[in-house]
Amino acid sequence: MQPARHRAPDEVEDRQQLASIARRDSRAFESLYDRYSRSVYSLALGMLRDPATAQEVTQEVFLSIWRQAAEFDPSRGTARSWVLALAHHKSVDAVRRRRLRATEPLEDTQASDLDVVDETLRRLERGRVREALVRLPAEQRQAIVFAYYGGYTQEEVAKRLSIPLGTAKTRIRDAMIRLREALVGVEEAAP
Amino acid sequence: MTHESLRDLLPAYALDALTPDETRAVGAHLETCELCRGELAMLQETASQLAGAITQVAPPTRLRDQILAAVHPQPRVIAIPRDWAIGLAAAAVAMIVATVLTAARFGQEAELLKQRIAAQEHVLAILAGPAAKTTMLTGSIEAGVRFVYDPARGEGALVVTDLRDPGRQLVYQLWLVAGVGPESAGVFRPAPGRPVVIPVRADFGKYQAVAISIEQAPFGAAQPTTTPILVGRI
Repeated sequence: MQPARHRAPDEVEDRQQLASIARRDSRAFESLYDRYSRSVYSLALGMLRDPATAQEVTQEVFLSIWRQAAEFDPSRGTARSWVLALAHHKSVDAVRRRRLRATEPLEDTQASDLDVVDETLRRLERGRVREALVRLPAEQRQAIVFAYYGGYTQEEVAKRLSIPLGTAKTRIRDAMIRLREALVGVEEAAP
Repeated sequence: MTHESLRDLLPAYALDALTPDETRAVGAHLETCELCRGELAMLQETASQLAGAITQVAPPTRLRDQILAAVHPQPRVIAIPRDWAIGLAAAAVAMIVATVLTAARFGQEAELLKQRIAAQEHVLAILAGPAAKTTMLTGSIEAGVRFVYDPARGEGALVVTDLRDPGRQLVYQLWLVAGVGPESAGVFRPAPGRPVVIPVRADFGKYQAVAISIEQAPFGAAQPTTTPILVGRI
């Protein structure tokens, strides 16, 4: 897919739409759905690997947007990152609910940690983000993949990778700082 | 926790990787710290780039219809007089979303399916309201009966997931209970193995409770003739 610049006018329009949604404008909701449903659904599907659950999460995300659009504060970031943060949040909730129901303990997972990381990277679009992840030191890459795409807390990452909690925290923090530096101003794929 | 230690948690906060306690602590700190808000905005931008890197797949168009139907202003999804019985099968409140998604799989007649989806959308539309509430009905028998309603819009529905058959000559009757006396909101019979939804439209602020009594089939009574077996405060 050809990456397109995330243009400023899009952000202006997104903000206007969220403001309209807060006033119960269902047409604005419809346009916002058309703009973001693909990104939201893809994130949920990528994390959950189950279309039915990903659809439930997508529905939850958009009903939350409908209810909580008034909570969006433009001074705290872009509309796009607000929507995707909400999508990640709901996907993580679903991942954790499923994990609670599963009987296998964290440590007994069959796939090796490196396989999980490689497999996750293979499911990313070729582009600057994947490149930036590949360039991270291996242990940071592992920590961020488990935390963001795997939906693990820092404590779970530590347990899963058999490293001290402090080390997991440092790796996650350093990885995010490096990614941020690598990706500032990078063109984003249009939703 | 100090500003420094909370600031250190921001990357993990942006990744949803904190414990609930840590999340709350950071959330509270953000309310008062402009520096951390700015930092978080940048980290969330990075997190959203991680989201955007996932292979893009379009969701089914059916999902679009369902989600939009849940928020579109609908004067009345099911045009049924309030005191008229319906036995539309629909999902339990907790399972509504999942059932809507799989509703198309049921090999039922088109009309019944349409009614069921309309009933589900009605309940979803209520739940989508910012003021939506749910109350569990309890009483002298074991049952799975909930009342969902949105006082702001005056829309509600009784969702019956588990209720024994009242017997051939009898029906259940739903009542809205106010100080002056109960008003009938319809009669119904449970559908074996399938939930039943009874839409109710009323000014819920006027009532203190919803109640169910057993009455004579097929029309029920003008006022309850038996002690309610289930009651839920609203």
